[in-house]
Amino acid sequence: MFDLVAQSIISGIGVGAIYGLIGIGFCVIYNASGIVNFAQGAFVMLGGMLTQGAMARLGLPLPLAAILAIALVAGSGIVLERIVVRPLWNRGSTMFVMILATLAAQIVIERITLIVGGDQPRTLPVFTDLPPLRIFGFAVNFQFLWIVGCSALIIVLLGLFFSSTKTGKAMRACSINRDAAALQGIPVSRMLALAFAISAALGAVAGILITPTQYTAFNVGVPFAISGFIAAIVGGFGRPLGAFAGGILLGVAQALAIVYLGAASKNVAALSILLLFLFVRPTGILGSAK
Amino acid sequence: MSVLRLDGITRRFGGLVALDDVSLTIPGKGLSAVIGPNGAGKTTLFNVISGFMPPSAGRVHFDGADITGLPPETIASRRLIRTFQLVQLFESLTVLENVKVGCHLHTRGGLLAALLPTRAARAEEAAVDAEARHLLDETGLGAQAETLAAVLPYGQKRLLEITRALAARPKLLLLDEPAAGLNRQETDTLATLLRSIVARDTAILLIEHDMSLVMQVADNIAVLDFGRLIATGSPDEVRRNPDVIAAYLGTDEAAHV
Amino acid sequence: MNSLITIWANRRINPAALVLWGLAAAFVAYTFVSGGYLIAVLHFALIYTVFVTGLNIFMGFTGQVSFGHNAFAAISGYTSAVLTATYNWDPLPAGLLGLAGALTCALIVGYPVLRLRGHYLAMATLAIGLIVYEVAVQWDSVTKGYMGISGIAPLGIGRFTVVSDRALLIFLVIVAGLSLLSAAGIRRSRLGRAFVAIAGSEDAARALGIDVARYKLIAFLISAGYAAIAGTLFVHAVGFVSPEVFGLPMVVLSFTMLYVGGIGTIGGAALGAIVISALPESFRTFKDYQDLAYGAALIAILIYAPRGMASLPALWTKWRQRVAA
Repeated sequence: MFDLVAQSIISGIGVGAIYGLIGIGFCVIYNASGIVNFAQGAFVMLGGMLTQGAMARLGLPLPLAAILAIALVAGSGIVLERIVVRPLWNRGSTMFVMILATLAAQIVIERITLIVGGDQPRTLPVFTDLPPLRIFGFAVNFQFLWIVGCSALIIVLLGLFFSSTKTGKAMRACSINRDAAALQGIPVSRMLALAFAISAALGAVAGILITPTQYTAFNVGVPFAISGFIAAIVGGFGRPLGAFAGGILLGVAQALAIVYLGAASKNVAALSILLLFLFVRPTGILGSAK
Repeated sequence: MSVLRLDGITRRFGGLVALDDVSLTIPGKGLSAVIGPNGAGKTTLFNVISGFMPPSAGRVHFDGADITGLPPETIASRRLIRTFQLVQLFESLTVLENVKVGCHLHTRGGLLAALLPTRAARAEEAAVDAEARHLLDETGLGAQAETLAAVLPYGQKRLLEITRALAARPKLLLLDEPAAGLNRQETDTLATLLRSIVARDTAILLIEHDMSLVMQVADNIAVLDFGRLIATGSPDEVRRNPDVIAAYLGTDEAAHV
Repeated sequence: MNSLITIWANRRINPAALVLWGLAAAFVAYTFVSGGYLIAVLHFALIYTVFVTGLNIFMGFTGQVSFGHNAFAAISGYTSAVLTATYNWDPLPAGLLGLAGALTCALIVGYPVLRLRGHYLAMATLAIGLIVYEVAVQWDSVTKGYMGISGIAPLGIGRFTVVSDRALLIFLVIVAGLSLLSAAGIRRSRLGRAFVAIAGSEDAARALGIDVARYKLIAFLISAGYAAIAGTLFVHAVGFVSPEVFGLPMVVLSFTMLYVGGIGTIGGAALGAIVISALPESFRTFKDYQDLAYGAALIAILIYAPRGMASLPALWTKWRQRVAA
């Protein structure tokens, strides 16, 4: 039993890192604009589906297919921002209308994918096809290492981007005070498009990394988005590192729920954690209780 | 006979003391005013009295009962009714409907009355309608009864908010800067209205920036400065009080007195 | 219906909407005479009228947000479906028990959920809808999972059942009409004014003695009741239920109807439901295109006509000006 639990925790960390990346995607857009993008899951789904499509239909090798997919999804993020978010933003729509519009966009992207790609689940090959490593007696497969390694690399790169580049600093200024940033001559609306692109790329990477261990299909987006949102809430909305930690916590909790309550409890467990946090501690684990 | 008594009200925001040990009694008749420079803690005082913000220390007594820490709707149900510095109308309701909402406390109709218009339900609605129209006529908004509140000109929005508060049959009416943004003529109309409200045995406590209005209508005045009560008395006494002159009237506001 | 028309008229007469009202009525009459597949479209529209009317009370009147009212339709619909199909109950007691179950759930979740605001409220309600969906999928000993339950008895009391398409149409017209009338009654009452007051300014409402938390809960329960009734009507009218029937696309569809008709207006629910159901896309048997069309339509409405049909005259004027220039 102990082995099973420990093994579950390891796989939970892997899945949790994915949730964390999605959660960071929520934070990037939220910080730049105050918008909660309910279409975040569509990026995750598109990442996996487009990579698979590029390999199967264009015959590209996995790395090229992945890069192409990430670029395409980042582009779709900008398209979403231009077509859906920008007009509402310019009109000063309420946050609720923004949520509704992005949720509708999620459905639209999902259904287009269904029509173009069909409803069959697909998967990707593992990145490194070697038998699992044995670390302290536990099996650690290479996909887990890819997930953890890529997530760590992304977090470092994002950290450098926000702290050291001019654009990154400008985006941070927007998150602190949008009006003041605009007065400083920062092109706030371009920052919004950039936030959607980064967020979409993060989602795509998450989708590509996780697909070899599971599968992807047109309708995987919403559950992933919910998990990412939970990660963001647990970490205190708007804090990227908190969101990542929140994702890992969620992944581990979910893995344990599967061990103790059965595989069917996976989504219900995640949603229950969400409600628990919303009701008891909406400011997140680190935030001050109200 | 006092209607409202404040005992040692203190309110802190972090390290900032917005109200510092304020003790004050407001008589159950007449028009009292709290004045003071910007940031003196006037609105905080209103928020504490009306239950929108608990005091850090001290007690609020209204109409013989301790109301400290009660939620705003409970305090309102005891007929202590307030208005807001920034007008808070129900903009998608008509002028008449706004006033009818003011009648909420002394009416009963719930879901059943909404779905089955029984004789009792219709009688209550008719009574509310008559009461609201009567009040609107008194405050001069009768002709606008069916207009959407959102499209009223600003001065009438202020009047409507007061009318709506009157519909709640207050024992004490708290008015937060009712003259803010009004022109001279509108301020005069307001002064007349306030005197007529007081004449009908509704006590008023108002916060005001417009010194001329306060000096014109108030029976007694309390002066706040940096959260502390520095003077109380009749308009003449306050005007002559050296502390007040130093703290407040010595500034350019004195020109309006 | 008289009071409905006056209410519509009092909210500034909107010629475009009146024309659409006439078209909707003509559509109902034509469908009744012609019969055929259009009747099924109209059944669907009328059931959604009930659902959207309830949503409008919580969102349009009270100014709150719920992405999870499909949960209450599902709870009631499944309860009624299981009781009639598996346990051979009559539809009426089964439906009533479903309604009671949905209201009980709404009461339990309502209290903590309604303390939330903004995207927290949106996400919490969304989660409730998804949890009920998951339960419908996973609890297959009762719900038969993805396969769903078929052979659900038609509506009826005792030996009197509503079997023919036309009889069902009449019945649903009456139910939808009653739901609109009751919503109109609520809007004009002390209760409805309190709801709209809360949407306008919670602080001002509290300052006038309105217990905002309590009234939000009442609005939530009333709208959950409409949703529950719609859910039960749906399973008995169609004779089949599966988790997909009450899934996330249902939420988007109902919002599309609400916004097309004009959120906050009484007649908007019916108008939106009929217009959206009658869109050519919804005649097709490809459900994927439907959801795509609804989602895209909702985005377009939010961007170009946020007040639904109520903004048609304004768009019309703008267009005329542009043509003239």
